[in-house]
Amino acid sequence: MQANADIFTEPNELGKPLVYSVVFHATVVGLIFAAGTILSRGTGSGWGAGGGGEAMGVTMVSTVPLPAPQTETQNVLANDSKGLTKSQPEPKAMEQPDAIPIPDKTSKVKPKPVTTASKQKPAAQPAEETNEVPFGQGGPVSGPYGTFSSGGAKGGFGFQGGGGDFGSAYAWYVRVVQQKVSQNWLKYEIDPNIHQANRVYVQFDITRNGQPTNVQLEQSSGVPSLDQSAIRAIQRIDTFGPLPSDYSGSKVTVEFWFDFKR
Amino acid sequence: MHPVRQSFLVRRYSQNVNVADARRVEATASPRHAARIVFVFLLVVGFAVIGLGPSAAHAQDWIRTGTGLGVEKVRLAASDFKATTQDPNTPGLLKAFNDTLWNDLDNAGIFEMVSKSFYPTDVPGNPSEVHFDAWSTPPPNASMLAFGDFGATGNSLLVHGWLYDVKNVGSPQVLGKQYTDAATQDGARTIAHKFADEIIFRLGGGVPGIAESKIYFVSDRGGHKEIWAMDYDGSNQHQVTHIGSISLSPRISPDGTRLAFSSLTKTSWEIMVYSVELNRLVSFARNGGTNLSPTWAPDGARVAFSSSRGGESNIYIADATGGNLHRLTTGRGPDVGPTFNRKTGAQIAFVSGRTGLPQIYTMEADGTNVQRVTDQGYAVSPSWSPNGQFLALAWFRKYGPGAPGANDIYLMDIASKQWVQLTHDGGRNDFPSWSPDGRHIVFQSSRSGSEQIWTMLADGTKVQQLTFSGRNSQPNWSWK
Repeated sequence: MQANADIFTEPNELGKPLVYSVVFHATVVGLIFAAGTILSRGTGSGWGAGGGGEAMGVTMVSTVPLPAPQTETQNVLANDSKGLTKSQPEPKAMEQPDAIPIPDKTSKVKPKPVTTASKQKPAAQPAEETNEVPFGQGGPVSGPYGTFSSGGAKGGFGFQGGGGDFGSAYAWYVRVVQQKVSQNWLKYEIDPNIHQANRVYVQFDITRNGQPTNVQLEQSSGVPSLDQSAIRAIQRIDTFGPLPSDYSGSKVTVEFWFDFKR
Repeated sequence: MHPVRQSFLVRRYSQNVNVADARRVEATASPRHAARIVFVFLLVVGFAVIGLGPSAAHAQDWIRTGTGLGVEKVRLAASDFKATTQDPNTPGLLKAFNDTLWNDLDNAGIFEMVSKSFYPTDVPGNPSEVHFDAWSTPPPNASMLAFGDFGATGNSLLVHGWLYDVKNVGSPQVLGKQYTDAATQDGARTIAHKFADEIIFRLGGGVPGIAESKIYFVSDRGGHKEIWAMDYDGSNQHQVTHIGSISLSPRISPDGTRLAFSSLTKTSWEIMVYSVELNRLVSFARNGGTNLSPTWAPDGARVAFSSSRGGESNIYIADATGGNLHRLTTGRGPDVGPTFNRKTGAQIAFVSGRTGLPQIYTMEADGTNVQRVTDQGYAVSPSWSPNGQFLALAWFRKYGPGAPGANDIYLMDIASKQWVQLTHDGGRNDFPSWSPDGRHIVFQSSRSGSEQIWTMLADGTKVQQLTFSGRNSQPNWSWK
């Protein structure tokens, strides 16, 4: 029985110091925490870690009025669009319908007698090509300077007014317009839940002194924040620079479209 | 705990855990679990032993990348102008002209300059001599060509300059200009500046070039800290004020006629205004206390500055002669370094120490709607961009003992609070100031060993040193 008593007292002797030890260490750690909070209160948010602002880092601010890093296809042939036009199919070599192959004399197989039908069936008519373009596949129809893309989003535009050849006569001005609009389109204004949207068309005029006026939403994308951001991109611009001095018209009308894809 | 094991843990954490991680561990430790407490205790002891001394700030690696970088820039060739006269002065003047034109276009930040070694050997002097194919195809592969002729007759220069879109053979001419000026180095440079500005204005979307802008700064090369001025490219450096005291934080007025700065008088720091046209001080009311860092409203009729006349330093606003003084900020902590929204004039950004370390705040120009824009660290020297969209600021994002912080220039989009770091690994960088076109930033940096004035493009590229002698600081770019 004595041995049993020894066995039962052993856990008690081990347990008490362990409890003391844990309590002691907890006290020390607690003191360190307490000292930490008291000291840090003294210097306020001394390490600047306190909240208040909501700054966040980004890799590139695109609206610095400098050429932004963006992909651009100047060549209208090199974009993904199927386009409106279709190249003419290559004419197939005409086969003579009643040509009979010359029998090969070396072959053992006797050629079967060819029977010609008294009435030829008309070949199945090929389905007529429609000129409809799937939505969003059309791409720009005007000029090699028609599109830009930045950060996964795309835009494009067409110029009207003047003799109709503004884009070809003043290609450098068109490039300026494209660059300024793409710089001033702030994509963070768009609802972050939107990942893809229909194309939005915005139309505006450029007056002789280069100011954009009469900004209109031609066709909504159905996403109000995207429509707003497209309109604001134009409105944010003070001037594109005066129209070319030898251009005779008083204004140029520009249609801009924005494709948003995150 | 066995001493060997403890030292092993200490060594291990000194290698693998940074301060932030340690804090996270501290914050999540629950005092109920004895084992974790022991673990945390060890960690804390470890930091007490090795973590308190400030560790050297390590230079971080960084890369710049993007898709299709540089594709967007216009490839511009600027051929040397052709001399039309045999005057003995002509070669020297022509060289000054060509160099200035090239530098201005290269510094604009919107062109990819085609190296002169790629140019055809026959230099065009007038439109009939331009061979489009030779310029628009490789090796030059330029889309734009600036060329012209240069004549010096007697005391005057006659320069014709053209800008051609060489890929558009049908209607190539973008610009055709004629200039005259005195037949001096300055005259040749002035014409080059004007022609470059015209090209930048046309191809840069109606934003005027900055070739004729000025930079004001503080220099001690005359023995005292006085206000100096120079051209935007660092040439023509000259002293403006001769006060014989200490003058700091120059700010030129929007019309470029008056210079406000703070200067030490016998009793205190006061705001002073110097007329650049009259070359003397003009009156500005003395307030007593310490008055620092004046800034002009975009209308040129108001000056905001910090003053400690009421005890603690606060932002005050007055009219251009110092009258009609109003206090804009209240509350504890010093408020200094105001800067107006340069587009609207309706907001002021300033530095405040109300939460400890200095942070950037914005408010309306009447002192309402105070908002904090920086979230951490040590942020000073806000400078509002000409288009009203960005703040440039000097920022230690990680500040404190042992924090790997460095004093660098950052750019913050005010509306979205997004920021981007512009300078890297280069000494202490401070006092950013915007160029009138919003494409350049001038700042003070110690990366060359002493405080000097540097410029860069607003995306952090094309860093250039402008000053080399003495110590130069606190640059301020003119408004136009």
